[in-house]
Amino acid sequence: MKQVLQFDQLSCRLKVEGLPDVSVGQSGQNLGIITGWSLAWAGRPELEGRKEHLLALMQVVLPYARYLISGVPRRFGADPEPVEIGPGPEGGHGLLLRSSQPDTPPLQLNLDDAELADLVRVLDQLRLDSRLQLPLELPEPIPLMGRELPERRPLAQRLAAPLAGLLAVVVASGLGLLLPEPKPGLEPAQRPAAAQPAKGASTSPSRP
Amino acid sequence: MPLDSFAPASAPRLPRRGLERLDLLLLSAEALDLNGGEAMVWMSEQMGFTNLFPNRVELWKRRCTNPLRRNTRREGLEPAETDALIRILCALADRLYPLVRGLLSSAEPSEVLSERWNLFRSRLADLVRQRMNLRRGGVQLLLDPESGARQSRLLIQALALGAGVGGFERLRASLLDAQP
Repeated sequence: MKQVLQFDQLSCRLKVEGLPDVSVGQSGQNLGIITGWSLAWAGRPELEGRKEHLLALMQVVLPYARYLISGVPRRFGADPEPVEIGPGPEGGHGLLLRSSQPDTPPLQLNLDDAELADLVRVLDQLRLDSRLQLPLELPEPIPLMGRELPERRPLAQRLAAPLAGLLAVVVASGLGLLLPEPKPGLEPAQRPAAAQPAKGASTSPSRP
Repeated sequence: MPLDSFAPASAPRLPRRGLERLDLLLLSAEALDLNGGEAMVWMSEQMGFTNLFPNRVELWKRRCTNPLRRNTRREGLEPAETDALIRILCALADRLYPLVRGLLSSAEPSEVLSERWNLFRSRLADLVRQRMNLRRGGVQLLLDPESGARQSRLLIQALALGAGVGGFERLRASLLDAQP
C-alpha cells in the first residue's frame, strides 16, 4: 500500500513516501497523501520533513529558478518561512532551512549552479509525476516586468528615439511652413500664361 | 510531444528580446553539440512538429527572425511556432544536461572547467561570427571577452534550468519578459 517515489540526479536524490487517498478513489499506484520525504545530498546531511516542508521547499526553489533563468538572482522565503534561498555572498546559492523544533539552529547549505539545477530537476520531476495525485499550490511562472530586470535601459536612453522622431517631425513641419504660399486670385490655368511674354511685345518682325 | 500543447491563438508573441534569446540559446546548444543542427531537425520530427517545420529550411527560416541575425527575417513568429521551438530547446537541453552540468559544477578541477569553458566560448563565438550581424551592439557584447563570458554563463545557466519538460513553462515565461 505504501508508495515511494524516487527521483535521482547526480548530486541529490529525492524520495517521497505516501499512500493513495482511497477516499477519493485513488488506485494503489498513486500517491495522494504524503507521509514523509527525504532529500539526500552527496557529501551533505540528509534533509527530511513533512509535506508542509516539501511544499515550502518547492515554493521557494522553483520561483528562485524562474527568476534566475532571467538572470535575476532574488531572495525568496522571509524569516518565518521554513525555507529560504538567495544568492550566496561568495557566489552560488544559499539554502537556509529553519527547523520547527525549538533550540535547533537553522541549517545553511551552499549550492553551486549544478547542484541547484539538480535540485530544480528533481522538484520538477516530482510535480510533473502523474502518480502524484495531490494539488500543489505552486506559483505559475510569469514573465518579469521591466523594472525587475537588471539590464534595464535608463529612461533618457529609452526616450531618446521617440523624442528624436518627434523633433524630426517638428523640424520638417517648420521648414514646410517657410515655403512661400502661391498668390491668391490666380487661376492655375493662368499661371503659365502669366509667365510668358505679352502678345504685343513679340520680338518677331511684324509684316507690313 | 503532444500537439495539443501548442499555445492558443490568444497567447502573447515573443518580444524582440525573447526572439534574440531563444535563437542564442539554440545556438548555445549547437555550440555544445557539433551535430546540434541535425539534432534540432531530428528532435522536431520526433516531437511531431513537422506540420510547423516541414523541413530544415523552414526551421532555419523561423530562427532567422532573430533581429541579430546577418540575414534577418522581419515577419514575427506565431505563438505555436515559438512554443514548438522552446520545446525543442528544452529537449535539446535535457539531452545535453550532463555537458551543461559539467560546465556549471564547482566540484570539477579548475583547469578542466577552464578548458571546457574556453572550448564552449570559442565554438559559440565561431557560430556568432558566421551567422550574426557583427555591427549590432548585442553581437559585439557577445564577442567581447568580459561581457561575453558573463553572457555565456547566463545562457548555460538558462539551459540548465530550462532542461526537460519541467523547464518549458519557466523558459517560456523568461522569454516573455518585458523589454528592459
